[in-house]
Amino acid sequence: MANLDTALKDAMTIDGAIGAALVDYTSGMTLGVAGGTPEIDLTVAAAGNTDVVRAKMRTIEMLKLNDDIEDMLITLGSQYHIIRPLAGPNGKGLFLYLMLSKTRSNLALARHQLRTIEEQLEL
Amino acid sequence: MSTGDTFLPRRTAQQPKLPPPVKLPPSLAGDPSLPYPSIGTELHELRLQIPGVQGSVLGGVDGLLITHDVPDTLDPDDLAAMAAATFGLGRQVSLRLGQGEFRQSTVRNEAGYFSVYAVGPHALLSVVGADAINVARLHLHAPPVAERLAKLLTPA
Repeated sequence: MANLDTALKDAMTIDGAIGAALVDYTSGMTLGVAGGTPEIDLTVAAAGNTDVVRAKMRTIEMLKLNDDIEDMLITLGSQYHIIRPLAGPNGKGLFLYLMLSKTRSNLALARHQLRTIEEQLEL
Repeated sequence: MSTGDTFLPRRTAQQPKLPPPVKLPPSLAGDPSLPYPSIGTELHELRLQIPGVQGSVLGGVDGLLITHDVPDTLDPDDLAAMAAATFGLGRQVSLRLGQGEFRQSTVRNEAGYFSVYAVGPHALLSVVGADAINVARLHLHAPPVAERLAKLLTPA
């Protein structure tokens, strides 16, 4: 079991990681951030991606799929962004956000590692 | 030496050490020289940019309404007065803690938000938001709006 800081630190050890954040999608605020660059403000990314998560959840609800998001992958020209809502009972309303460099990362491995981090995260 | 010479110490009135009264500038409310169309555009843009914003009000720190962009269901005069009350509390907290000027205050209720942002030293921007509002986005977006409004309120 890992706490918030350890989990974010672990997320930053994933190959190609640029930044990681734990975000509350009811407010868009971050509970914690790690990494990032002077150009990339992770709090801005968190607020923006909150709208992405909300839109997808609303769509699933509208389609009456009766299912949950396991993770979301957004592919940019030079980056991968992985969003992973927390599944645990005390992770309700939160998601992990990971930015990866496309050239330096292994997507399958990163996704697997992020799942492990999410499963072990204890708040 | 007779006993009649002794007397009890007297209590003399002491002047309390109060700072001189602050000279308040004239109220911004009802000032015809303000650029109302530009201010209106800023408030309108804020509502368009952030889903969940129900309306916004620009008021003076005296609680008087300058201008607003709220639907009929909300009373802009009330909101301007409540913003000033919120500012008063925020300023006292800041004075006590020595944390400088008031910047912003957010009230979260069961079904929504009420946020107050400082617009320069004499005005306040208050935003009413639905419960579903992305409040982090509002906090990222509103301070630059408040900054632009402060520029519009300052006579060139």
